[in-house]
Amino acid sequence: MQAPRSTLLRLGCSAGMALWLASGCSPKPAEPPLKPEPVLTPPAAQATDAAAAESTEPAVEDPPSTPFEPPPLELLERDAKWIDRPVRDALADLAAELAKEPPLATSAEALALENDSAEANAAILSALGRLPAGGEADESARCNRHLAVDLNSTNPILISSAAESDVLGLTSFGLFSFDRRMEPFAAAETVSSWQTSVDSMLDKVVIRDDLRWSDGRPITAHDVAFSYRVIMDERVPVPAVRSGTDQLRGVHAYDDRTVVFFHREPFATNVWNINFPVIPRHVYENTWEDDPTLKDSPEHVELEARPVCGGPYEIVTRIRGQEIMLRAREGWHTVGDKQVRDKPFFHEIRFRILEDPNTALLALKKGEIDEMALTPEQWTTQTTGGDYYAKNTKATAPEWVSFHFAWNTKSPFFTDRRVRRAMSHAFDHERMLETICHGLYTPCTGVFHPTAWMATKKPLEAYRQDLDRAEALLDEAGWIDRDNDGLRDREIDGRSVPFEFTVVCSQQPMAQDICTLLQQSLDRIGVRVNVKPTEFTVLQQLLLEKRFDAAFGGWGTGTDPDTSENIWATGAGRNFGSYSNPEVDRLFVEGRTEVDRAQRAEKYARIHELLWEDQPYTWLYWRNSFYGFSKELRGYVFSPRGPFHYSPGFGSLWKPVP
Amino acid sequence: MNEAMADTDRRPTPARGFWAEAWARYRRMPLAMAALVFVGCLGLVALLAPAIVGTKPVVCRYKGQIYFPCLAYYSRDLEPVIFSRDKFRGEYPKNLAAKDPESWAVWPLVFQDPYRAVRADEWPGRPANPARDQGRPSRWNLMGTNQNGVDVFAKMVHGTLVALLVGFVSMGIAATIGVTVGALAGYFGGWVDVIVSRITEVVMCIPTLVLILALLAIVEKPTIWKMMTVLGLTGWPGISRLMRAEFLRLKSAEFVTAARAVGAGPGRIILRHVLPNALAPVMVPITFGIAAAILTESGLSFLGFGQPPPSASWGSLLNDARSNLRMWWLVFFPGTAIFLTVLAFNLVGEGLQKATDPRLREARK
Repeated sequence: MQAPRSTLLRLGCSAGMALWLASGCSPKPAEPPLKPEPVLTPPAAQATDAAAAESTEPAVEDPPSTPFEPPPLELLERDAKWIDRPVRDALADLAAELAKEPPLATSAEALALENDSAEANAAILSALGRLPAGGEADESARCNRHLAVDLNSTNPILISSAAESDVLGLTSFGLFSFDRRMEPFAAAETVSSWQTSVDSMLDKVVIRDDLRWSDGRPITAHDVAFSYRVIMDERVPVPAVRSGTDQLRGVHAYDDRTVVFFHREPFATNVWNINFPVIPRHVYENTWEDDPTLKDSPEHVELEARPVCGGPYEIVTRIRGQEIMLRAREGWHTVGDKQVRDKPFFHEIRFRILEDPNTALLALKKGEIDEMALTPEQWTTQTTGGDYYAKNTKATAPEWVSFHFAWNTKSPFFTDRRVRRAMSHAFDHERMLETICHGLYTPCTGVFHPTAWMATKKPLEAYRQDLDRAEALLDEAGWIDRDNDGLRDREIDGRSVPFEFTVVCSQQPMAQDICTLLQQSLDRIGVRVNVKPTEFTVLQQLLLEKRFDAAFGGWGTGTDPDTSENIWATGAGRNFGSYSNPEVDRLFVEGRTEVDRAQRAEKYARIHELLWEDQPYTWLYWRNSFYGFSKELRGYVFSPRGPFHYSPGFGSLWKPVP
Repeated sequence: MNEAMADTDRRPTPARGFWAEAWARYRRMPLAMAALVFVGCLGLVALLAPAIVGTKPVVCRYKGQIYFPCLAYYSRDLEPVIFSRDKFRGEYPKNLAAKDPESWAVWPLVFQDPYRAVRADEWPGRPANPARDQGRPSRWNLMGTNQNGVDVFAKMVHGTLVALLVGFVSMGIAATIGVTVGALAGYFGGWVDVIVSRITEVVMCIPTLVLILALLAIVEKPTIWKMMTVLGLTGWPGISRLMRAEFLRLKSAEFVTAARAVGAGPGRIILRHVLPNALAPVMVPITFGIAAAILTESGLSFLGFGQPPPSASWGSLLNDARSNLRMWWLVFFPGTAIFLTVLAFNLVGEGLQKATDPRLREARK
């Protein structure tokens, strides 16, 4: 039996939401997600049941910034029936799970392997993705990690990019997390009990009494309620973690340990709305209203450099653009002279910021960093020789990140479903997968990963290039070359419009290559494409304002299929292509109100099928995880969100005693 | 008869013009001459690129008509429509034979394409271009292929046109503006000079690279032409200042005073009398400017901000090489081409300077 180890909390804020990825190549979603867009939008106004639910409770209409009057605890206890919800030690659970799988090789054998086949990869993952037996891990070890971009802020409620959640996930305090199956739970390190009312309108959490901030003050339920107030305040520029909190009526701390979350709707997805990071009340209480940016005033500038941390690690030094140093926090595992939680596996974690993937790879080969995400090109051509395997090994696993061409259904070209299908037929998928993706990615058939519980069970056949079909569909849709200029055209509002459009993409080489391939493919059937590589922030702006014909991009998976509602529902915030299908809208609302997992799966499977038929996107490929690891590292276990972005995630990594 | 001969001998040989004399001096410099020949060859390669390497016939007869499909490489609108209507889909060799057995075609010297990878058996018996890092130089791909399987030789040849266009067009614009503005400022002096000089100083402060990056973000279709325009619109201050100085010097020369004395207007004096004498020193910064523009374009493409894809630019090949330095052919060939071209233009510029600057001439005597 393994001693339970401390879990590093993976906060749901940025982890729970889908991230828009403009890159085709950087395997880490390094770019920030679209800023103030909530992942969970309120139910569409026309959805009748949701509207009815709201009308029964006029109090719901209160804007979140007005103080919410919570009922007294006695009344709550009397009226509500509570169901116990899971409070888990993610690391212990993972250890128990892994113990059931016999290793396919010893670690020495696995380290001698070159990862050039599926068997080798399975052996490496199985042998090295293990948790340490007692005394095996070196508790004074330091892990050198790679960051592709610098942090904007060290304040956890300002998290917006994967890099920030990489660092701040280790230093900040939270109550909830989710495992590699995306099952939510309350973390045993911080929570004593978690209960939900039978009507799903309330969540009650009792936090542990042995928690301390890095400045020695106790962490209490009041900090949780305070953090909620700050996050929900419109003046605070919270980019990502506000997502979903608009579904909350309020959060109230009844004493130092008990905090209750009041929901607006009895949704199955409510748990994702209460999963946000916590900041210390005593530090920010007097300063946040004077400087709602949380970054500009002298006090906040100082806090940016040395934040008061509640997680297992604290930030020791930070050199902008270069490195961030974390050290394991004594106060996390020891209160008084008693050890109340287990120490994390590393004494120190040093993040090196290396933006250029080639520089990062050199650093990995030299042993200056211990892990990094590899590009397909690096995986196939630059990490195969002895110079790489001298100090490192590598591993891959499926990840639920898909890339696509998004068609703007409001543009004159792509209103017709037949045209969108023609595009999918015309694109040279084989060449993309073979050449640009180095044969490493799998073709994508729609919104949900085929192994996900919400994916359709119907086998959907991936599109292959079929120019005859594409041409037939375009002819049928009325796009025919009438004026003999070699370009298809169609009369729209009495004007002959040639089929020439622009596809926007990020400046990543892989994105450009894929768009260029689209250009070549369509050029063969009389459709002209202009490729416009665009700077990331400009690209986001174009998408948000829906000023594009076609765009190349990708989505990282959210933790719950409901998080994709704001990509597909009519008029939703991140529905860049203005796609609209009343049935899809209805199914999303039904999926959210349905509590039974199997019933929900059916709804989402139907959405999956409907979207596949409509092809508002031409889905291209699933981008798997490809990581290089130092031979000293152990314990990496991959999830659909990669090896780090879940719980325990990075918390399960360790180094053996030398 | 004899007298007549003697007469012609005695007649003073007409003095060679300034330019003829400069040319004669230029020809005596072997390095500068070699550079000029090199530039000339580049020009030829650029103009004839579609006939040197391409996948479209230079000329072909199809269904009783003569076509020049290779013109499509200059502009996509020049591709004969009949081929897209007959569903050639960009693949000529097989389709020509299949759809009209009577047809014939004259092909480019090398069957490769600068914008896409050649597929297997597109040309009977020719294998598909290797991709990823497998495309080392071979008999099918003289300079190898890049990661996407696009032939490097084809890109190099078609990239010559881009390089030269950028150089000549941008410096053409810069020279036109610079000469005009400088001439006006120098000749009229006074408040014209003050205004023009201040404007010149302002334009000198504009960071060209940043301006181009900003422009690429704004415009709907960033093309190489817009980039050239920006390079031209910001590249003229140096030329203008030189021109102004020349005009200041020449406008008080005796021949100008003489022209004014016989009643010539300012337009005539500027164009007929001063300009031809002031042009020589300006040729030098123009030549150097061409080299600088080629470097700028390569630099931008290298950074990924150049011509939008698919581009056949030398810099974009270097950009491809960045992600895998072991593909040496992606560095060596375009690097050499950029180096030689820039060197050639600089040598030509230096030669021009030596040939036209009277002071240098004196020094050599």
